[in-house]
Amino acid sequence: MSPSLPARARLGPFASQLRARCSNNAVPGRTIISSSASPATEPAPDSLDKPQGSRRKPLSAAQKQFLDRALRVNQAGELAATLIYTAQAPPINKAHPHLRPLMKHMYDQEAGHFKYFNEILAKHRIRPTAMYPMWSAAATVLGWSTGVLGREAAMACTEAVETEIGEHYNGQVRELLGWVEGMEARGEEVGEELQGLVKQIRRIRDEELEHLDHAVENDAKQANPYELLTGVIRVGCRGAIWVSEKV
Amino acid sequence: MALRTILRAPAAVRPLLIQPRALYHSYEHNEPPPYRDAESAILSSALAHVPLHGFTEEALSLGAKEAGYLDISSNLFPKGAFDLVTYHLVTQRLGLKDRIQFHDEKIGVGRKVRSLVLERLRANVDAGVVGRWQEALALMSLGENIPRSLKELSGLSDEIWFLAGDMSVDTSWYTKRATLAGIYAATEIYQTTDQSTEFRDTEQFLDRRLEESRVAGSAVGNTLEWIGFQGGAMVNLMRSKGARI
Amino acid sequence: MASLLPRATKRLRLSPPSGFVCHDCRRAFGSSVCQSQQQQPAPSQHVSQSEKTTHFGFETVAEELKASRVRTVFSSVAANYDTMNDLMSLGIHRLWKDHFVRSLNPGIRPASTASSPQATPGQTILDIAGGTGDIALRLLDHATTINHDPRTNVIISDINPEMLAEGRKRFATSPYYSTSTNRRVSFLEANAEDLSAIVSNSIDLYTVAFGIRNFTHKQVALQEAFRVLKPGGVFACLEFTPRLSNPLMNGIYKRWSFGAIPLIGQVVAADRESYQYLVESIERFPSQSEFAGMIEEAGFMVPGGERGVEGELESGWEDLSLGIAAIHKGVKPVSR
Repeated sequence: MSPSLPARARLGPFASQLRARCSNNAVPGRTIISSSASPATEPAPDSLDKPQGSRRKPLSAAQKQFLDRALRVNQAGELAATLIYTAQAPPINKAHPHLRPLMKHMYDQEAGHFKYFNEILAKHRIRPTAMYPMWSAAATVLGWSTGVLGREAAMACTEAVETEIGEHYNGQVRELLGWVEGMEARGEEVGEELQGLVKQIRRIRDEELEHLDHAVENDAKQANPYELLTGVIRVGCRGAIWVSEKV
Repeated sequence: MALRTILRAPAAVRPLLIQPRALYHSYEHNEPPPYRDAESAILSSALAHVPLHGFTEEALSLGAKEAGYLDISSNLFPKGAFDLVTYHLVTQRLGLKDRIQFHDEKIGVGRKVRSLVLERLRANVDAGVVGRWQEALALMSLGENIPRSLKELSGLSDEIWFLAGDMSVDTSWYTKRATLAGIYAATEIYQTTDQSTEFRDTEQFLDRRLEESRVAGSAVGNTLEWIGFQGGAMVNLMRSKGARI
Repeated sequence: MASLLPRATKRLRLSPPSGFVCHDCRRAFGSSVCQSQQQQPAPSQHVSQSEKTTHFGFETVAEELKASRVRTVFSSVAANYDTMNDLMSLGIHRLWKDHFVRSLNPGIRPASTASSPQATPGQTILDIAGGTGDIALRLLDHATTINHDPRTNVIISDINPEMLAEGRKRFATSPYYSTSTNRRVSFLEANAEDLSAIVSNSIDLYTVAFGIRNFTHKQVALQEAFRVLKPGGVFACLEFTPRLSNPLMNGIYKRWSFGAIPLIGQVVAADRESYQYLVESIERFPSQSEFAGMIEEAGFMVPGGERGVEGELESGWEDLSLGIAAIHKGVKPVSR
């Protein structure tokens, strides 16, 4: 497995299969919903790339609330991801030195995402989650324990976490693209802020899904007990997302 | 659905919970003004009567009449004199960014916070309400007004950290805001009794409080750092002994 | 009793609020409040097509009977109006009304008049649906004793002459009406949807306590209020709310109001149907948020009205006793 990967994700077979699972679910309302639809089915509005003038309308309160919640969850998620990889790395690297470049590559990407969301939160005055210390501890424990359990467990953990996070980002991208389409339909301009957000979240989503493929390629499915492990982690992720939206 | 409604926090408690105020802040469009034109007109003229009449219904009625309204129009303000206090708090909080600008990039966040707090306190002096501020504090401390007052206080604290350019988005986001809110509230109370010229005592009082919190904060930080270091060292030691952790 | 409760619960569960355009009220309460309004067809009945025809059919029959029956029914109600309210609200309506008037703070304090050179001639208050004068009396008491204002006067308006007669009776012994030199009360028989007897921009304070619920076209009445009020004038309304915010308490309250109130009416006044109407008319009244929206739509500024994330009004009224009743206010803006 080469650690030097293209920045844009190569969509691996398992990830696309997963994404195709429930591809046509529309994203209703403003609640943060995850979407496992394939990125290929996303709308591609032109105004995402057009330079912006001043014909803009302020975001509605509901839209602001959505961004507030979504970005807070994203930051918490990336915090957890970096800590999981940090805690997994020593035991995994010791047992399987050939995975060292992959672990470092994935960690570096997560650290980049975390940095991006930290900046976005500070810039847009969004409160970080109050559960920050809690998520830090939980992520470290999760990363360390799966790391100690072995390569397969660690990869299964990555698979479960990245599946949830990938779907979560997917839902956000769809919601934001929906706004962009609505703005275009009303003849409004989208604004650089929103343009940047959609592009960045899309990029981050693709990178997360790439990690998912790496995990599957590295025998995540061999973990024992696979169903229990991934099930528990995914439920935990969803719970954490739900809580972080609110507090 | 029904369960949700039952569990919903009562309206009076809601402002005390996590506030939706700190919503996504956009740089591309301005926030809508916090008051309607008529409200601003009445409240700003009423505020001019505060030095003489205090934070009272009387000042509110006078303001209403000056703005072309009637005595009865003070019904526009359900909380009466407290709405006048809130108006002062909100407008001064939002006006803080225009009162002070930092051009020197080298000024530390701590210095900026100090300047911002002093500038905000000076706004009380400039508005001429310092002499009447104890009345305002009394209104703010009434049970029914406490949630709104705390919301304003935390809003000011958030504004100051933001204007000072603080970028922290971890747990310290909360501790910083809570600490500064406490310091600001104490200093503001001190200011109402300060007899010194140019409120120099208040300035010194503020410096003492900021120093205290800095010392306490670094003590906590050092302790946490020490614990983290010891923990890491312990894990590494065990790893070097061959433990598979 | 046993036969009553199931009926009440059935009503609660089956009927949507708008479904209460029921035959009971049409039949029984072609009373004072509906009387002249009934002459225009009521377009605000949101009933489904099939129901509408039956209801409409029933209504035409009832309307002929009504004209003769209304007077007798409502004059007897008028005499017991306060007793009726006491029973409806367990006497709490007196506290609500006191609070309503106190929060409005009618009258002009001499101190504030002194600071402006031209002495104002007191306020002109219009008390709509105030036939028996209980609100008017409170308004005048407050202006006189609290604000030391001897000039503020009240126009009591009601659509029903019997109710106004009750008011005259009440004021005959009060100092506000007995002296012919300084009469501070006048009586007006008018429909709140058409106050053509009152000049535009002439009223300081428009009050309506437990009345607006009975208007056929509430929005029209609100627009009429907006017209007669001076710029800066205040619209104030005290009214029951269709449901309490807490569903558990709401269930208990509805069970009581649908079960007990008509029964009390039957026992005390031998007039079950009027009381049934009262309960149902409460159910049909818009919620606080909707009604505050209607006040805004008429052009008023709603004090403290804040919109939630969905754009609906989240505040701008005052709930009384867990939200059984609510005070709504609106201020007419001064145009510049």
